Amino acid sequence: MFSWLLEQVLGNLPTWLWPTIAGGSAVVYFLAHIIGNFPNFKPYALFIKPVAFVSILGSVFMFGGAGVTDILQAQIKEQEAKIAVAQQASSDANTNIQTKIVTKTKVIHDTQVVYQEKIKEVEKKIDADCKIDPEAITILNGAAKNPLGATK
Amino acid sequence: MKKLLVASLIVFLSGCSSVTGPKMTMSWPDTPPDLKTACPDLNQVDASTTKLSDALNVITVNYSQYYICKDRVDNWIDWYNTQQKIFNSVK
Repeated sequence: MFSWLLEQVLGNLPTWLWPTIAGGSAVVYFLAHIIGNFPNFKPYALFIKPVAFVSILGSVFMFGGAGVTDILQAQIKEQEAKIAVAQQASSDANTNIQTKIVTKTKVIHDTQVVYQEKIKEVEKKIDADCKIDPEAITILNGAAKNPLGATK
Repeated sequence: MKKLLVASLIVFLSGCSSVTGPKMTMSWPDTPPDLKTACPDLNQVDASTTKLSDALNVITVNYSQYYICKDRVDNWIDWYNTQQKIFNSVK
């Protein structure tokens, strides 16, 4: 929770803030160096200089971090755009295949109906001319049986 | 002191750039529901019939069933290859 909050706060700070702080700290550092030459201000300078130095390092580090974050954000946006395009293409491909399946299944089914109609037309004639021996049906059904067992 | 400052600045600036970028990948899409249906077993001719037309009817239905199933398998291959191509394009 704390790290998330910290990330949100630091992530929303503008990048220019860090070089500004680094520059300001550098100015403070050199001013402290100058006032350190005056005996009255020397104790202050001794305190201010390390603080300014740490501030320079800290803000340079944060500037580096912000730069890297900007690059990563750009990479994320680029990747997100690529993924969005790919997902659209994937969804379109799914729709196309679904449509193809429905169309082809209809064609196959319609063809089946046509042949069933043709059988109906000659039904009486072929049934009169040919009686199938039950043995033939048994062989036909045996051949139609799944040798690997019933489908789950 | 100045050299130390410059060296620290370089280390601090370049240290951050060693962070690697996030890996974002696309999730594998759902298979169309029609491709998930298993192919049924072939129909059997009524064992008590002696009519050729009955047998022909069942055979016709079985042929259709085969072509529907063949189409499903072909579409499976087509679907997989297409999705694989799309998936690999965002890697």
